[in-house]
Amino acid sequence: MRIQDPRLHTFVALSSVLTGVETVQLFGTGQAEAYLVTLGKILPVALLDDLFKRFEALPAEEIEAAVEHQVLDDTRLGCVAQNIILMWYRGVWRRLPDDWRASFGAFPEDENHLISGAAYQAGLQWEIAGAHPIGARHQGYASWSLVPTKPNRRNTA
Amino acid sequence: MSILDRRAIMVDPGVLKNSGHYDAIIVGSGVAGAIIANELAQAGKRVLIVEAATETDRSFKGYSSYLQHFYGQADKDNQSPFPVNRNADMPRSGQLRKLDPLEINSTSYIVQSGPYVTDTVYTRAFGGTTIHWEAKTPRMLPQDFQMQTLFGQGKDWPIRYHDLEVDYELAEREIGVSANVEDQQYLDITFRSSYVYPMHGLPLSYLDQRVAAQIDGSEVELYGERYPLRVRPFPQGRNAIPNQKYDGGKGYQPVGAVASHQIDVGGRCQGNTNCVPICPVQAKYHAGKTLAKAFDTGRVDLLSQAVASRVVIDSASGRVTGIETKLYHDPASPDHHTIMITGTLYVLAGNAIETPRLMLASGLRSSSGLMGCNLMDHAYLLNWALMPQICGTMRGTTCTGGIVELRGGAFRRHQATFSVDIHNDGWGWATGSPASDVVELVDAGNKFGADLRQAIIDRVSRQLLLAFMIEVLPSESNRVSVNPSYTDLLGNMRPVVSFTVPDYTLRGAAYARQFAKTVFARLGAEDHTKYDPSDYGFVTYEGEPFAIRGGNHLAGTHVMGTDKATSVVDTNQRCWDHDNLYLVGAGSMPTIGTANVTLTLAAMAFRSARNMIMQLGRLHAPVQT
Ligand SMILES: Cc1cc2nc3c(=O)[nH]c(=O)nc-3n(C[C@H](O)[C@H](O)[C@H](O)COP(=O)(O)OP(=O)(O)OC[C@H]3O[C@@H](n4cnc5c(N)ncnc54)[C@H](O)[C@@H]3O)c2cc1C
Ligand code: SF4
Repeated sequence: MRIQDPRLHTFVALSSVLTGVETVQLFGTGQAEAYLVTLGKILPVALLDDLFKRFEALPAEEIEAAVEHQVLDDTRLGCVAQNIILMWYRGVWRRLPDDWRASFGAFPEDENHLISGAAYQAGLQWEIAGAHPIGARHQGYASWSLVPTKPNRRNTA
Repeated sequence: MSILDRRAIMVDPGVLKNSGHYDAIIVGSGVAGAIIANELAQAGKRVLIVEAATETDRSFKGYSSYLQHFYGQADKDNQSPFPVNRNADMPRSGQLRKLDPLEINSTSYIVQSGPYVTDTVYTRAFGGTTIHWEAKTPRMLPQDFQMQTLFGQGKDWPIRYHDLEVDYELAEREIGVSANVEDQQYLDITFRSSYVYPMHGLPLSYLDQRVAAQIDGSEVELYGERYPLRVRPFPQGRNAIPNQKYDGGKGYQPVGAVASHQIDVGGRCQGNTNCVPICPVQAKYHAGKTLAKAFDTGRVDLLSQAVASRVVIDSASGRVTGIETKLYHDPASPDHHTIMITGTLYVLAGNAIETPRLMLASGLRSSSGLMGCNLMDHAYLLNWALMPQICGTMRGTTCTGGIVELRGGAFRRHQATFSVDIHNDGWGWATGSPASDVVELVDAGNKFGADLRQAIIDRVSRQLLLAFMIEVLPSESNRVSVNPSYTDLLGNMRPVVSFTVPDYTLRGAAYARQFAKTVFARLGAEDHTKYDPSDYGFVTYEGEPFAIRGGNHLAGTHVMGTDKATSVVDTNQRCWDHDNLYLVGAGSMPTIGTANVTLTLAAMAFRSARNMIMQLGRLHAPVQT
């Protein structure tokens, strides 16, 4: 049996604020663990610990503003956070910017790559737009001729 | 085991050594070769198909592996489902770049000799390019067959629309076309009375309907004539609801997936928006469906990993005596051995690039000198905008509807016609959407959280892309040639393409851009079109910039005509120079109008097959004494 990474819930909670998508839905993609593993392969433990600790220390109220100022605006953590957003939306890891790599380290696994075929299909970009991943999870014959369902807004529960 | 696993009889190359017993040797298992193989086999003839690609995707497992390969590619370019095979290579758009004047780029499989760099592709796989195609299946217009007579442009065909009409019906049956006759009767396209398509038309997408709501009933004026506009559905080679009235009330049985378990795959089109490059459920026609029937007769053999390399001619009679073929053992290695394959008739069905390439590599230029000349391909001009309201973009088949009223008209004396596709997959073709939108919103827009989410909805589901498919006329200098400096791993000469987008087409493009602006204005849509000067397809016309995309509708390179001096093949696609050799496919088409070429080349394949059966009958008839 696999032992669950204790950081998983923190990672998904942070991802939820970054992507604007509920944690339930993020877990529902089936990719949460794979993305955390990917981060672990690419980035040093200390960097990830800093990211998660920073997030855990933020006040629960006004969490979006706090993440913006404390995480996204941070020169070291901000680019990583943006990459986490892209990973969820596209299923792709994007190489960190050159100036970031010059300042904080050029890690060998930090190269553009698709996480997996499953991650491509699970990319949030499709579902959020009311669509489906091109080539998978079809919506059924003639569904395209119907009024699009209201793309789901973030529910506040 | 899949249907094809049971039926495709692979021949042992050793057995072929003295195989004079084939009535026909067909090079290429694409739709043209498949139809001919099936027609000959149904008439009791023995056929050998020689296919350069591996035959892994004969089975459902092989087909699925293409799909997994597609999901697993970071950059989903046009050919991403199809693994690299240097022994039977194919063009890939990812490898292109703009050329400097007089520069030649030989790093991609097709050597680009310019000045225009085409990103057109075809697929060398079992079943050919239909594994990859989008499957739009319009007929040509009657006026397309008489361009010279009616408009003083291009060439006339040696046959007319009505000569092909019944063969169009056969092609529509074979491909399994979904459309409604009443939607397709325009610009003099006629149907025999009581004809219906095999299946009912696919409904227009919600996006099409939003466009139609604003433009149906409006008009444009061109050279003093008025053209009414409306959004019409396209005929499509993908499964929809069968029409009970088909075939005098007998109905039509859709052909499902080439697989053992037809329940979960191969039914009706489900709207995967992925028709190109591969349909996940095989709702879209591909030649494997025709090949399955052909193999089922027990009279068709397949030799795969077999690259036809030279057509050998008896110099006295001009007749083909054999086809030298290189058999490779592993796609990863150039190791091969060469055999001679013989039969009674020979049919080259390698497509409009590969067939003339093989002829030219064999030193056979045709007495007309036109082998490889007159290369045509539709020129695509993309225009993209944001609709004022959410339109549910990214759902449905790649394209369900468009504007086709300007496919014909008196203006053809001056400029090219076009057919306009409304793309259900948004700006994907032009910008790489939706990935490019997400990246832009995150990077440049600094968006995250709920804002990002809302911005994606706004941006993606309002996208409208109009793809103008513009006519290209034959021109002898646009051509495929070969050059011993450029060879592939097996030592076969690669195709060299020289192409200039003709002014006639560019005038059509300039008008297309104007037309798009007019439509966007009527829709209240915000134009986002821009053409990048570093784009490999960048051209200017009268100071105006355009980026022209290739159309994947290759044609013209072994043109059909009425005599030996001005054409390569006769009206049955038989070579004037070699009476047991047929060159089949869109290469025979003298013009392409604004019809995606496959339905027409399929119709011509039926015509040629009939002629081959007659010719074989004559050859085998007992000699009267
Ligand atoms: C992205 C895309 C979208 C398209 N959409 C449409 C559409 O909507 N409507 C439409 O009408 N058309 C469309 N087309 C074009 C259509 O796919 C082609 O017109 C059609 O498949 C050509 O059929 P063919 O049998 O002539 O050649 P192909 O299908 O190309 O088959 C040729 C076969 O010959 C084999 N071969 C070649 N050379 C050799 C050799 N030397 N030895 C042995 N074997 C050889 C190849 O491996 C291949 O299997 C599209 C094409 C592409 C790429
Ligand atoms: S929309 Fe989908 S199911 Fe339909 S033909 Fe295209 S890829 Fe196949």
